[in-house]
Amino acid sequence: MLVARGVGKEVPPAAGTLRILSGIDLEIKAGETVALVGASGSGKTTLLGLLAGLDEPTSGEIELGGHRLTDLDEEARARVRGELVGFVFQNFQLLGSLSALENVMLPMELRGDRDSQVKARELLERVGLGARASHAPRQLSGGEQQRVAIARAFAAAPRILFADEPTGNLDRETGRRIADLLFDLNREFGTTLVLVTHDTTLAERCGRALTIDSGHLVAGRAELAPFGA
Amino acid sequence: MPLRLLWRDWKGGELTLLLIALVLAVTTVSGIAIFVDRLQRALILESSAFLAADRVIEGNREIPDAWEARARAMGLATARTATFSSMVFAGDWNQLVSVKAVSPGYPLRGVLKIADTAFVPGEATERLPEPGEVWIDGRLLPSLDVAIGEALEVGNSALRITQVITDEPDRGGSFFDLGPRVLMRLEDVPATGVVQPGSRVEHALLLRGDDATLEAFRKGLDDDFEAYYDWEDIRSGNASIGRALDRAESFLLLGGLLAVLLSGVAVALAAARYAARQCDAVAVLKTFGMVPSEVRRLYLVSLVVLGGLATIAGLVLAWAIQAGLLVALKDLVPVRLPPPGLRPFLVGSVTGFICLASFALPPLLALKDVSPLRVIRRDIGPGEASTLGAYAIGALGSLVLLVWYSGSLALTGWLLLGIAGTCSVLLLLAGLLLRTGRLVGMQAGSGWRIALAALQRRGGANRVQILVFGLAIMLLLILYLLRTALLEEWQEQMAPDAPNHFVLNVAPHEVDEFRALLSSRGLVAQPFYPMTRGRIVAIDGEVIDDLERRDARRLSSERNLSWAEALPAGNRIVDGAWWSAAPGAPEVSLEAEFARETGVKVGDRLTFVVADRRFDATVSNLREVDWDSMRPNFFIVLTPGTLPDYAATYLSSFRLEAADKRFLNDLLRAFPTVTVIEIDRVLEQVQRIIARVTLAVEVVLLLVLAAGALVLVASVQSSMDERLREYGLLRALGAGRGRILGALVIEFAALGLFAGVLAAFGAEVTVWMLQTRVFELAGSLHPWVWAAGPLVGMALIGVLGTLSTRRVVNTPPAIVLRQTA
Repeated sequence: MLVARGVGKEVPPAAGTLRILSGIDLEIKAGETVALVGASGSGKTTLLGLLAGLDEPTSGEIELGGHRLTDLDEEARARVRGELVGFVFQNFQLLGSLSALENVMLPMELRGDRDSQVKARELLERVGLGARASHAPRQLSGGEQQRVAIARAFAAAPRILFADEPTGNLDRETGRRIADLLFDLNREFGTTLVLVTHDTTLAERCGRALTIDSGHLVAGRAELAPFGA
Repeated sequence: MPLRLLWRDWKGGELTLLLIALVLAVTTVSGIAIFVDRLQRALILESSAFLAADRVIEGNREIPDAWEARARAMGLATARTATFSSMVFAGDWNQLVSVKAVSPGYPLRGVLKIADTAFVPGEATERLPEPGEVWIDGRLLPSLDVAIGEALEVGNSALRITQVITDEPDRGGSFFDLGPRVLMRLEDVPATGVVQPGSRVEHALLLRGDDATLEAFRKGLDDDFEAYYDWEDIRSGNASIGRALDRAESFLLLGGLLAVLLSGVAVALAAARYAARQCDAVAVLKTFGMVPSEVRRLYLVSLVVLGGLATIAGLVLAWAIQAGLLVALKDLVPVRLPPPGLRPFLVGSVTGFICLASFALPPLLALKDVSPLRVIRRDIGPGEASTLGAYAIGALGSLVLLVWYSGSLALTGWLLLGIAGTCSVLLLLAGLLLRTGRLVGMQAGSGWRIALAALQRRGGANRVQILVFGLAIMLLLILYLLRTALLEEWQEQMAPDAPNHFVLNVAPHEVDEFRALLSSRGLVAQPFYPMTRGRIVAIDGEVIDDLERRDARRLSSERNLSWAEALPAGNRIVDGAWWSAAPGAPEVSLEAEFARETGVKVGDRLTFVVADRRFDATVSNLREVDWDSMRPNFFIVLTPGTLPDYAATYLSSFRLEAADKRFLNDLLRAFPTVTVIEIDRVLEQVQRIIARVTLAVEVVLLLVLAAGALVLVASVQSSMDERLREYGLLRALGAGRGRILGALVIEFAALGLFAGVLAAFGAEVTVWMLQTRVFELAGSLHPWVWAAGPLVGMALIGVLGTLSTRRVVNTPPAIVLRQTA
């Protein structure tokens, strides 16, 4: 489903070059749940951005669902994202001017889905927010906002879901319920899940954890298959 | 999809400010355009009365019949006049008069007024004297000792006097058309035998029609026209009205330009804020697979829809506002204004879209480059290059808009130069002021420290904000100062004690007696100027052929000559020097424009013929003359002693109220040879026109003020999110409401103060330039602006800023923080 080979990322700060990631090799199979763990500033969020095609690596290659991302421009990567990928973010990233329902409808509308409203309502019911469909994000609590975000993430039935600290902004109890919801839906939809987290409890619920330290993958290295295999 | 998102943004309140800015841009610009258009139509209609037509072809030769036939074929209304001086007789009396012979249809604009006796207000009439009849100036009745119904001999014809003529639209204030008026029919002229080959007759073909047809007619005239005739419109026909109209037009244009600029800035600020708030949304949309070209299409479609809606709303509002204004001001605008043409609406709509394209489109299009990575890394914004490009597009757009709107490179150029210069100085000074403010703030109490630290922290944004505030205040000051300068200038013309009667033909020995008669009635005579008629016949010994090209005719036609020891009031030397008290050889001073048109330079030797005398005089200087002043002005002034005093008659002016008009009878009985020109009616008309123009100027100022206020609000709003977050945080940390409010007031008042200082500076420089280069007024400095600018800035921005951010104080900090997280 997802293969990275020799992936590195450098950014030019004021003086010299800052190496954020180097020599990352990994493979994630369809249906796997994988946690990327590591200390703050270790580069795990950067790696998530690269794997999801939100950014380009400065070296190495990434293949997502059979598309070699490193050969594609932003236009083409956006199409791959629209086709295969869903996201859940630490700060929810709901559009403030849209209602909960409209936020969930958005990815389906972008694909031209005709019955997006019906599906969005079903998803909101599924995450327990059917009664709050018309509410604006600012009228919802943090946990509720994240549930809307999860409903939105699954709305386009993605083959792979990237989650960046999905419980990072929530209290422990709310976080646990959000995690339950995320894993439940993941099973239902048969989605591959890659999540970045600090939370060891959350990481332990994944099938596998990859640890990043100072830009290097140090544990849980995945068995590599050659590209195209 | 774009429309759905647009609708949702609208529901969410994201678009309100942008839409208001756009609507106001269209409203202000088209409101000004509509109002100015209607006033201008009214003004031109009214001013055309001074010509008795829309355009006049004038010359000393008879006007070819083919021209008149062509004009009629093109759908223009026509009439002819011939004006000449002649001696008329009645019984034992005779008098030199100015005869105007007219064809049916005269006047094409304005009205003739007539009465049955002299010195009473006349009634408007659409009739003309019948063939065999004359209408005469009321003062001819006493001076020729005739009555209505009696005969007046003009050359070989005896014509019956049937009416007194009290008002004639194209009488003007011209000194070339001297003597009391006798109005007769053109077809009666041949029988009189007074017009012979070689007689000096001013022939005119009056034309009425729309501008396009008139221009087309003019273009089709043959070479003879260029050589022998002049084309008169209201501007060339009456100097004071022409200049008042020109200046008013420049001002209204400037007002329009400022409105365009201010609206543009408001749109740019609102769009920038909208774009900044859309960054997250675009990043999220991109993670869902929206490609950059779709993002571009999304905002393009949104903007077109938005622009269309704003344009429609703006045009409707503009119509309503100017209609409302006219109702509110109906006492000041006594006549019904003609309905506006299509142009102002076109101007408004095009402005809306150009504003949109150059000010709003760039920041929104830059959104397509927002990195989707922003969803996990908040610090990533749109690229720098695209921001720079956006500013370039905005600058180019406003330049195109300004030049197109004003059609005046000079006006646009000076304004932009002023703004560009001010902007660069402003940016430098703003940085300096902010730094100094911070240093001062360190010593001060905590409210001050918070405020000034906040100013310093957002140094870049605040520099821009001071610039925007400063520009807005500067533009308003510029408009206010120019308006005041213009009004003062016009007020002078409309001074209640300005002379409104001219007297000509006062013999040298009558001057003292004349002055005594005036003062016995409590009237004051202005200075007396000697005047005689003469012609220039040669330059540097080369004889001017009277019948060759037009400038030759202009140079050699008979003119009024005067002489003076000192430079006449209201005149200014532009080349050479005024003569010393006792120059040896004769010298002459020429009006600068006259000298330029005829190619005469300082040092040229001119040969004059006055009656039977022929003499040379050297051009020693060129003068600029204030034609707006209702004082006697001369193209040609000689050194005293060049001509003997007895060769001249004297001319002066005095003020006579309408109620005292009968005094003219006594005056004319005592001095039968004197000619009185009543310019009070002309003055009245000028005053009416100027009052109307003044009104237009005031309304434009008001509309531009509204645009300026919107810029201020838009600017405060654009920094709102950041302020909300910061002050929310401060409140969370325990700062009390009072302290936060105090800090807000101080922050905005300080911004206003800095902006005001800089605005005063910019306004002084630009107004000086505009006054001297565009409006041809004397430049002046305005010390009070240096106090008013900062004070207005502090008050305006302090109040507006604090009011629009007061929800920081009134909202619980947790909510503020959550909303802006």
